[in-house]
Amino acid sequence: MTSYYRPGSASEAVAILAANPGAMVIAGGTDLVIDRRLGRADPRAPLVDVTGINELRGVRWDGDELHLGATATISAIESDPAVIVRTSALAEAARVLGSVQIRNMATLGGNLCTASPAAEMVPPLMVHDAVAAIRGPAGERRQAVADVVTGPRTTILASGEILTNVRLRAPALSGSCYLRQTVRWAMDLAGVGVAAWVLTDGTGREAAVQEARVALGAVAPTAVLVPGLESLLAGAPPTTERLGAVSAAASAACEPISDTRGTAEHRRHVAGVLAARALSIAHARAAGLWSGGLAPVNGRASAVTSSGERA
Amino acid sequence: MRISITVNGDPVAQPVDPSDTLLSVLRERLHLIGTKWGCLTGDCGACTVIVDDRSVVSCLQTVGQIDGADITTIEGIAGRGRMMNDLQEAFVTHGAAQCGFCTPGMVVAAEQLLRDGVEPNGAAIREGLAGNLCRCTGYSKIIDAVLSVALARME
Repeated sequence: MTSYYRPGSASEAVAILAANPGAMVIAGGTDLVIDRRLGRADPRAPLVDVTGINELRGVRWDGDELHLGATATISAIESDPAVIVRTSALAEAARVLGSVQIRNMATLGGNLCTASPAAEMVPPLMVHDAVAAIRGPAGERRQAVADVVTGPRTTILASGEILTNVRLRAPALSGSCYLRQTVRWAMDLAGVGVAAWVLTDGTGREAAVQEARVALGAVAPTAVLVPGLESLLAGAPPTTERLGAVSAAASAACEPISDTRGTAEHRRHVAGVLAARALSIAHARAAGLWSGGLAPVNGRASAVTSSGERA
Repeated sequence: MRISITVNGDPVAQPVDPSDTLLSVLRERLHLIGTKWGCLTGDCGACTVIVDDRSVVSCLQTVGQIDGADITTIEGIAGRGRMMNDLQEAFVTHGAAQCGFCTPGMVVAAEQLLRDGVEPNGAAIREGLAGNLCRCTGYSKIIDAVLSVALARME
């Protein structure tokens, strides 16, 4: 029989991990249960089930700060009304992850800590400048989500540490969008996943970009932020010409592989196309121009003009 | 550990290895074999059951996490004393099964989708059932069956 612990607090979980070297943290189990059965993870390793810890749960807003517990389920994120409106990229990524059943089980913390290069939630968290709280024997530390994943299936979490929550701010006049390309329209990993976030100086078509971030998933060993967007976008609305430059910058930021979900060349191209499209929608949301709801689940978003209207 | 759960309305107490899956406990300990042993990777949905008003794939659900939970399997979908509910009857009238292997998971997932108030249109139902694979029917008759119940229950 496997040793199985179900701590009631984060500090208790940390103590159990310290006393059981090699123990593994289980939350939704949608990756770990498979890995243990197939021998990709040690099936005899003790399990520390963190789903009984209240302080790790839930989706909560405090003013414009969003607090996502490590064991918040993907379906809880997908269905939070304020997440849908204020941090749309998170809702758009959540609702294309796996299936209804998987989303009811899988957690935000699991998606981040499993550290798949195609992890759906990571690019949206990165563009929202999210910060992860990590608890260990030495106390709590905070790390930008962009720095948490260090490579395929590796993170900066030391053994004995657990993720407790992820926090981010959604200020007024900001908007975000997540689009992805898949071979199948459901139950598939992203061939390319693109999140964009924009902060504008006002509302309406002419609202200038103040800050912008684009993150790409599944096109490099970890999700990557596209560099140099400020100089391409700041101080003006995202015109067709500027969006073209964003596309080129996004394509250049890719280091894709070729596999069954697409060739490297195709991924590089699609990353550019989706980056411009996602940025355009994010701008429209920030500037109060968007009334189109969430983007379609199949990634084949209808054409969006530079002013954010559906063509 | 010993878990106490409710399965299809009946209280069940069982000694378990908490890392066992709900699927193995349902099939091998409780002999509720309507829930199917399919891909074991959470992809096919044949093992779908309802845990506290949410559909889950029981092949990935460890039982250590669900002590006290209320579970409904295909055997309990119709309710006590009934052979079939309206959804199961719709599967029959629409011919929404061929080999039948996916059917229990499909019915359980669709039942929870209906209880959650899925929009009565084909696209919403397809999206909601994306985690249930059928290799025989091409899905059209399954969607038709679920849609007919979604519309009927609105009346």
